[in-house]
Amino acid sequence: MKAVMSDFLVSSKPLVRKLIDRLSKTYSYVSVLGTDTKGKSYVVSKTAIEVKDIIFAERGFVVRIHNGVNYSEYSFNEISEEGLDQIVEEINNKIGKVARIIPANSYEVIEEEAIKQSLFGDIEINPEEISSMEIIHNLTEVKDLALQRSELIANVHVVYNSYHISKIYMSGKKDLEQSYFLGEAFISCVARKAEKTKRYFKSLSGNKGYEIVSKLKDMALEIVDQSIALLDAKPAKPGVYDVICAPDITGLIAHEAFGHGVEMDMFVKNRAKGAEYVGKPVASNISTMHDGAVAADHMASYLFDDEGTLGKDTIVIKDGILQTGISDLLSALKLGTVPTGNGRRQSFERKAYARMTNTFFEGGKDKLEDMIASIKQGYLLEGTFSGMEDPKNWGIQCIALLGKEIIDGKLTGKLISPVVMTGYVPDLLKSITMVSETVELGGAGFCGKGYKEYVKVSDGGPYIKAKVRLG
Amino acid sequence: MLRRIEQILKDQKEISGYKICEDRIESSELFFVKKNVDMDRAKNVVHYKVTVYVDYEENGSKFKGSATTNVDPTMDDNEIRNVIGEAAFASKFVKNPYYPITKAVASYKAMPESKYSKESMSYWMNEITKAVYKNDVYEKGGINSCEIFLNKISTHIINSEGVDAKSVRYEGMVEFIVTWKEEGDEIELYRCLNFSDFDPEVLSGEVKTMIQIAREKAIAKNTPALMNSPVIFTREAVKDIFGFYYSKSKAESIYNKYSTWEIGEQIQGENIKGDLITMSLDPFLHNSTAAASFDEDGFPLEPVNIIEQGILKKYMANTRYAHYLEVDTTGTILNMVVNGGSKTLEELKQEPHIEAAAFSDFTVDNLSGDFCGEIRLAWYFDGEKTVPITGGSISGNINELQHELYLSKERMKDNTYEGPKALKFMNVTIAGVE
Repeated sequence: MKAVMSDFLVSSKPLVRKLIDRLSKTYSYVSVLGTDTKGKSYVVSKTAIEVKDIIFAERGFVVRIHNGVNYSEYSFNEISEEGLDQIVEEINNKIGKVARIIPANSYEVIEEEAIKQSLFGDIEINPEEISSMEIIHNLTEVKDLALQRSELIANVHVVYNSYHISKIYMSGKKDLEQSYFLGEAFISCVARKAEKTKRYFKSLSGNKGYEIVSKLKDMALEIVDQSIALLDAKPAKPGVYDVICAPDITGLIAHEAFGHGVEMDMFVKNRAKGAEYVGKPVASNISTMHDGAVAADHMASYLFDDEGTLGKDTIVIKDGILQTGISDLLSALKLGTVPTGNGRRQSFERKAYARMTNTFFEGGKDKLEDMIASIKQGYLLEGTFSGMEDPKNWGIQCIALLGKEIIDGKLTGKLISPVVMTGYVPDLLKSITMVSETVELGGAGFCGKGYKEYVKVSDGGPYIKAKVRLG
Repeated sequence: MLRRIEQILKDQKEISGYKICEDRIESSELFFVKKNVDMDRAKNVVHYKVTVYVDYEENGSKFKGSATTNVDPTMDDNEIRNVIGEAAFASKFVKNPYYPITKAVASYKAMPESKYSKESMSYWMNEITKAVYKNDVYEKGGINSCEIFLNKISTHIINSEGVDAKSVRYEGMVEFIVTWKEEGDEIELYRCLNFSDFDPEVLSGEVKTMIQIAREKAIAKNTPALMNSPVIFTREAVKDIFGFYYSKSKAESIYNKYSTWEIGEQIQGENIKGDLITMSLDPFLHNSTAAASFDEDGFPLEPVNIIEQGILKKYMANTRYAHYLEVDTTGTILNMVVNGGSKTLEELKQEPHIEAAAFSDFTVDNLSGDFCGEIRLAWYFDGEKTVPITGGSISGNINELQHELYLSKERMKDNTYEGPKALKFMNVTIAGVE
């Protein structure tokens, strides 16, 4: 079924057009992004059930104006015919003045092409048509299945989040609208033996409707068993190892090691080492990395970004050579480059930055079993816990939930946990020697810029073989 | 709008109770690249979060279902009725054991007024900017970019038991990147400051400290392959480690099986050699963005001691979890105050050690006690000389190390934390680069 555009946004368009017309008498550029994102979060655990709106639920507008020097923005969430005067007054009084008082970076006025387009996403089962009774019942079945597996399970959380995103973007020449669904579901299992407590989780996500929940049962027992196995895991002995990264860890590397480093607002601030390496080798010649709203059909796929730029498929690394970065509109304006449709906001209340979308390495020709067989002593790393970028100095910190020991080309059944992977990004990427065929993407988590500005992204890739430092 | 929502809730016959939280937020925001403003923003928004409760019985047991929904200010009455109706329907299938809703109190303690209430937002944005850039005076480095936010948040919570709590508070945030260049590549470090009152000395002082740390990182050598070492944690990492103790002391963590700590338990284990932890929670901590006289349910807050000399004295419990565990309600308090330790910073540094100043992202898993972080800057003292080091990682487990930890006598304040400036663990795993 096709997603249906927010009635609220559709009915607000004449008012938004009036606001743009009013403001255009004063400002040389005016645009408005309107958002209406709905969705429910269901959590069923051993001890409680929770139903609430998703944290990304929002409804409001952000106006961007050119103030004569650079750009200013005003966010609001009350709009009416009689309230337009007040919005215009607030914009005139509260923004756009500081650039005339203190030193400011100047930006040219955005030149836009006339575009009128829309996108309505497609899913199998509309979550808005499934009753909360049925959702809670289905998640409870999965929870009970997991809990029955072992007495070592202290708690299990089964989670389903649905998103129905509607956005409009209007300016002098643009009239864009899009509406689509996202879905994510995961199981998190806490196992305890004596003093030791460990957690393992796995997720499903994508441009999906409620159909995603039907696959949870298949995952439940594996997650329980892995959380119990982690109770006997040992910490990694610090050192440099040959490893195979599962697709989620490959994605974590793509995201943290290189994705953040090619966000081009970092180029503007001279914060990205990547700016010096365009056209130069940064990874092994079997590495090709993409980012883009249309590069894959996943958690960050859309028609237009939060600045009204149409989404693209950007090849960031081609055969090991850095090709280009990913850009928001204002950074592209400053750098004299073409925006890539990566200007994204946490919500209508936040600034737009250059952000990743669907970021992944392309598949290769190797078989996983051959990759394992090629390792004398090392680990198969899987389960993303967290990561942190270092765009300026190309350091990397990735934390995996576990590493499966490989000795003489065979998995031994022993685990290490937690696994801290650190190193210098080009060293890591240039050490990639084998790449499996199938690409998998995931996107149940969030991506922050520093420690804020959270957006939904997906990342992934194939299994890769590399050399990394573990601690 | 608040009363309109309340009336619609009162008309819903199938619900047993409700809570409405209104947040009006006005913000002023400046984004700098170097010393130049790159963008300015402002916002004026209002949010309503509504929780509906449905009490019911099954097989002689009492249950309380609940669901929370946003109500947007642009919703008409029909839309509001629909979202509340959906929440009420969902609540009937949320099978949680019964708990009472927070009751009304006569009054709440008055909070000291923030200096930010005395002048306009634009005045304070200018003052914050001046304080942040005061010490950006060096040739080889300084502030690369900076974002300044000042929010005025007016909160109003009402519920069906007569709670009617109001507050006005300010949340300031300065996120900045500092860089430094010596002979090698220019390096950068990240810092984010959160505050609720204007203290220019703290802002300019922290920028100066970060620039000094960046200068050290620019000349740092690779972390040696020590395998294990005593590590002195400083700055945000200390707060993050105490966050583990805070998390384990929550009644919610006990109820949900994330913590097994019992009242009266010596939480640092047996045969303790170092300092014993004493932690209290202070809802009125000065210059904290979490300072409040009531919690998210409108429960009135007072300071409370939760850990004394390593022994858990009390769980931090909101109305629901206090009822479940049959303990006193403390309300949700987000500010930690930790007593100082037995040694000065100098005394902590007598033996060979690593002193960690900045991580890529210091991570503590409050469930397992595992912690780790890539070293952006630390100082290594080998018994003779001290050198700045970078790269590699530090990792360990709090449960396994806490029987011998040392806290500095010197104290620091970082938004929701006030306590020792430094914490030393003895046998921490080091993944060195050389």
